[in-house]
Amino acid sequence: MIPIKLEVNGRPIEVRVEPRQHLADFLREEMLLTATHLGCEHGVCGACTVLIDGAPARSCIAFPAMLDGARITTVEGLADDAVAAELREAFMDEHGLQCGFCTPGMLVMARDIVLRRPQADEDVIRHELAGNLCRCTGYVGIIRAIRKVAAGRADAVVTRGTVLEPPAYASPLALPVSPARVAVEAPLAPSPAAAMAGAGEGEAEAEPLRNPVELSESFEVPAPRAEVWALFQSPEQVIACLPGARLTAPSDGRTLKAEMVVKLGPMQAAFGGAGRITPDAANWSGTIDGRGVDARSATQVRARLGYRLAEIEADAATRVSVDVAYVLQGPLAQMSRGAIARDVAARLTQAFAANLAATVKGETPAAQNASLDAGALAWSVIKGWLARLFGRG
Amino acid sequence: MKAARFDYLRPASVVEAVAALAQDAGAKPVAGGQSLGPMLNLRLARPSTLVDVSKIADLRRVDERPDGVLYGAAITHAEFEDGTVPDPTPGFLARVAHGIAYRAVRNRGTVGGSLVHADPAADWPTTLTALGARVVLAGPSGARELALEDFILGAFSTALADGEIVTGVFIPRCSPQARFGYRKSCRKVGEFAEAMCAVLADPARGVHRLVVGATEGRHIVVTEAAAVIADPALLDARLTAAGLAAEPATLRLHQKVVRQAIEQLTTVPETESLPA
Repeated sequence: MIPIKLEVNGRPIEVRVEPRQHLADFLREEMLLTATHLGCEHGVCGACTVLIDGAPARSCIAFPAMLDGARITTVEGLADDAVAAELREAFMDEHGLQCGFCTPGMLVMARDIVLRRPQADEDVIRHELAGNLCRCTGYVGIIRAIRKVAAGRADAVVTRGTVLEPPAYASPLALPVSPARVAVEAPLAPSPAAAMAGAGEGEAEAEPLRNPVELSESFEVPAPRAEVWALFQSPEQVIACLPGARLTAPSDGRTLKAEMVVKLGPMQAAFGGAGRITPDAANWSGTIDGRGVDARSATQVRARLGYRLAEIEADAATRVSVDVAYVLQGPLAQMSRGAIARDVAARLTQAFAANLAATVKGETPAAQNASLDAGALAWSVIKGWLARLFGRG
Repeated sequence: MKAARFDYLRPASVVEAVAALAQDAGAKPVAGGQSLGPMLNLRLARPSTLVDVSKIADLRRVDERPDGVLYGAAITHAEFEDGTVPDPTPGFLARVAHGIAYRAVRNRGTVGGSLVHADPAADWPTTLTALGARVVLAGPSGARELALEDFILGAFSTALADGEIVTGVFIPRCSPQARFGYRKSCRKVGEFAEAMCAVLADPARGVHRLVVGATEGRHIVVTEAAAVIADPALLDARLTAAGLAAEPATLRLHQKVVRQAIEQLTTVPETESLPA
């Protein structure tokens, strides 16, 4: 718990807060100021907007621990504010609210708009209000209300951003560290016997991925095809080529249990799961199907890695073609946006290809056991490829 | 409480911040927290400790020099938007800042945080790369400086070493005649862009730079952009090579945004009715 001093709606407060408690929860649960509403709780909807040192901010992604010395004003604190009074009147006259859930945030933001942008026209108001969502009114009444108040204000009064001062002291704290990463087994994982049992179950397992992200990579390794084939039949070696991946149990050669850590900026996911290896020796090809779950974010991934080996240079070398398809579902997919997840997957595929080539040549994979920290460790491996791709070589 | 447990440290200096980060591999620096906050609430990020650098004096300093301005990393977007800090360009920074997310986010989000987060669809990484900005880093092995295009390596990926933080960003001074085009395409004002392009034409200094953002990975940076400005079609091969041609609509969107940004070099940009 961290001791802080705040001024909430003009009242000086001295409390101890847990660092992870966000400002909206603090205001509602500790201060019993329940006019601040919580909508999305990740900074998208604007319902929880309050004033921090006079400037609007999302209270759901602000933490009181970081706000020592700040002045907080909620919509309750604007009861006697002249501009807020005008706005309340205008919201009533112009049907600026229906269910009222977004209204506290709307009022705080509207007050900032009319102070900062007096004489604002509809375009300006719509632009400035874009961060506050309303699901009832269609915004027309809200915009009209703000416009009415803005039109009556000729004087330009610009509110400034938060004034931050250098801290007076450092405060080392002691709280339990974050919970240990736990890998879980995916629900799937058919037993080896079941996997080998019949075509029916095999087909059920191989159900196609819906709207997968697909990536292809092809590279040459200076070894005979049979040697490369042998490597692909060894789950230990294949997994060792995937940055951040490791087997969680010895593989029987047909199924595998593995864990894979992927870092995406500050986000980190540890996918624990199971896979099935299906070789097609007649065609020198095969697939590895897998499913995994990140226990912490409940993000699910389904992926398929297909490979084909072709003889080149009279079997002195082998061309390896790798096709990766995956579907990501859950919070991580929502947060990371498709294109960025795709970028990471593309780099993983690149690093996999580079490591595989190194393994065949008898070298140690460069990124073995290291997670793909989107560019840190595996970066050296893929730098050359990126340089070519972006023409910066 | 939405976020997983974390400790909180508020070091008083860059040296203390670097030491705190070096001690704990799970520690994350935080300033405005406008990108990290949502990830904490969704428990996608679970740092063991947040090292708050937002109030370190060095990170709040603005140093005006003849050749440009060195901004502390914790200067907020709103401070750029309001002109609270000096601008070495003819008004470009305020224009960019005005288009970042929403005012409630701009009041807390910082320029350094945006660069370190390195979201390809964010405003500062693309526009400051076009302006030829450099980042100043401090870490266990001392301070160093990098051109922004060498600092951002891809989506959410930077050249930041373990225990290193960004302390400042240096933006070179433009000539008064310099022109800047910036256009992004968003589904909604304040949302992440689906395509963006920033272009700087400063003939007096002999500088022509063009940067395409909101790519799937690293920005496309053209440092000698005079030819591309004259003929945007020259850029098509690089847009395709960056994987933007996988979806025809994505390629078209980027091509259009590049052309609109270049058009702004000779016209007055619209400010309110378009996202940028």
